[in-house]
Amino acid sequence: MQNTSPRYSITVLLFIALSAILAAVFAGGLFTGTVKIPVADILRILSGGEASKPEWGIIIRELRLPRVLTALFAGMGLSVSGLLMQTVFRNPLAGPYVLGISAGASLGVAVVVMGFSFAGASALSLPGSWAMVIAAWTGSGLVLLLILLVSFRVRDIMTILILGIMFGSATSALVSVMQYFSTETILKSFMIWTMGSMGGVTSSQLKIMIPAVMAGLALSLASIKLLNAMLLGENYARSLGMNVTLARVMVFFSTSLLAGTITAFCGPIAFVGIAVPHLARMLFRNADHAVLMPATILTGGIVMLGSDIIAQLPGLDSSLPINSVTALLGIPVVIWIVIRNQKLTGIF
Amino acid sequence: MEDSNQVLQTEDLSIGFKGKKKESSIIFDKISVSAGKAELVALFGPNGIGKSTLLRSLVKLQSPLSGKIFLFNVNLRNYSRTRLARKLGYVSTETVHINNLRVHDLVSLGRYPYTGWMGRLGKDDIDKVNDAINMVSIEHLQGKFIHQLSDGERQRAMIARTLAQDTSIIVLDEPTAFLDLPNKYEVVHLLQKLARKSGKTIIFSTHDLHIAIQEAAKIWLMLEGQIIQGSPEDLILGGSFSKMFENTNLKFNEAMGEFRIRRKPGMTIGLTGGQAECKWTRNALERIGYRVTAQGIHEIMITVENDRGKRVWEVIRRGDKMQFNSIYNLCSFLEGFRDSTG
Repeated sequence: MQNTSPRYSITVLLFIALSAILAAVFAGGLFTGTVKIPVADILRILSGGEASKPEWGIIIRELRLPRVLTALFAGMGLSVSGLLMQTVFRNPLAGPYVLGISAGASLGVAVVVMGFSFAGASALSLPGSWAMVIAAWTGSGLVLLLILLVSFRVRDIMTILILGIMFGSATSALVSVMQYFSTETILKSFMIWTMGSMGGVTSSQLKIMIPAVMAGLALSLASIKLLNAMLLGENYARSLGMNVTLARVMVFFSTSLLAGTITAFCGPIAFVGIAVPHLARMLFRNADHAVLMPATILTGGIVMLGSDIIAQLPGLDSSLPINSVTALLGIPVVIWIVIRNQKLTGIF
Repeated sequence: MEDSNQVLQTEDLSIGFKGKKKESSIIFDKISVSAGKAELVALFGPNGIGKSTLLRSLVKLQSPLSGKIFLFNVNLRNYSRTRLARKLGYVSTETVHINNLRVHDLVSLGRYPYTGWMGRLGKDDIDKVNDAINMVSIEHLQGKFIHQLSDGERQRAMIARTLAQDTSIIVLDEPTAFLDLPNKYEVVHLLQKLARKSGKTIIFSTHDLHIAIQEAAKIWLMLEGQIIQGSPEDLILGGSFSKMFENTNLKFNEAMGEFRIRRKPGMTIGLTGGQAECKWTRNALERIGYRVTAQGIHEIMITVENDRGKRVWEVIRRGDKMQFNSIYNLCSFLEGFRDSTG
């Protein structure tokens, strides 16, 4: 291993640098917002003290800290689920949503929004409510069940990819039909959900979201060996003694747990899941998931927190929809992948 | 059938694909072949006859329709995936395209059946990986990315991966398919050395009969409806290769161990000269449709003179004498001559 040691130290340095950047953007996220709060006050609030103005304490504890934590975990979770899907499907453009998870979630949300309005309740209070979260979770869970049933019977992984995309499209079509028959207010509350938001998650919801995302991340970290074997394709993985069905179940389950949870709380966040694993690959130049997975986790946190800071651009009364920011940041990366892959036959 | 020396044996094996409603399509049946310790076995047969299906069945990527496969006298069915992965390594025809995967990491994947759930390599694993890299002499490449390798280098890296897997049997599906001629020879020679030196049983399918005849200890020859096994020499002398292309344009030359296009016999030409000169002149004359013989008197007689490397082809036709300084010019003349006489 003598010639791999400079590579080893580069990897360690990159991890240190990424951790430092992550800490910086996390702090940056706390410091930025539509209300200006002095750094000294923020530090005092975080260490349990009182700020010069009591409302600043509420803003930090009830608004900014939940928002920053949401962004951190959403970024980490979506990026890891993108990495899982890209490896399992051996496709650089796979992301957290290829299995139809966001489509399932949006169907759940659409059903609840319509249901509420038919029952006469106000649909405007819905975004961020528990009803919406549970609906989204149920929707993506049902899609997962369907995918798992298929993956027990279908041997070829590409067939599963195509079926996942088809399930997703069918679900989206159902949602469109429901939208067509709904009123403007309902449509607006649904549209707001699809734009994604880091700020709508309350601290009590975080108590569910963070453990769920952590469980998904733990499951992904436990799949590192399986993912490495799957790099060569499922036939080689089988010949190395890997249980392909077990591996698929593990990976699909953790993807749904991650992407389903985050979509339920924040809405469908675009492009982070596809783009971040490629950023991690570009930085670390390594295909080993023992390196790539933590790299993706750190980069995902940085990208999402960074996008959130950009969405809170100073001078605006309210923040930009987070999906517009992630799309504008993610699309150049995706374009870069596509152009680069014209020349290279490589998958990743 | 009990033969303790055999590492791998099949008994009346049928391979193919299971269809719906009990209807299965048999690709090949009645396969009874074997491979011994330290043997290099070449699987040879026409395209589409089922070589890949047979190899996939042997490595349990697909289950046989009927019949049995024995590994060390134990039915393949009784091996768990993990246990099998420690006995049997496999290289498929798929070329692996992964950016950012270094050769050393690719070879390390071979340790998968031995590592814990995190896949971390112990000292023993790292030694095995380095040994595997040394065995195929790619030490200088181990830090490179696999997409930077040539086809031959990548094939060596894939072989090293199965060596790191530390199995008694290695099965390779057309390992020489994309290689240039020197690489084809080198890769097969490497397999032969590995089989003899480390006592592994190596089975590979190929279309390069010439190389297989030189290097393989045994050939499994898949012909229409039957599979024949034996040393390449026994198969040649027994006329098995001639059968292979009975209904085609090819003819197996048993003395040379190679196939030739069957040609319609045309006008006969007499040819004399040195051995090498005669061989290649004959090659050219047969290509343009003449029959060539060393005996008797014919309308056209050719003598090749070799004066210290300077060769002259002398043609005598009905008393006319002509001289040519290359086979190319000789052929141009003979082609024109044939055209003018119709």
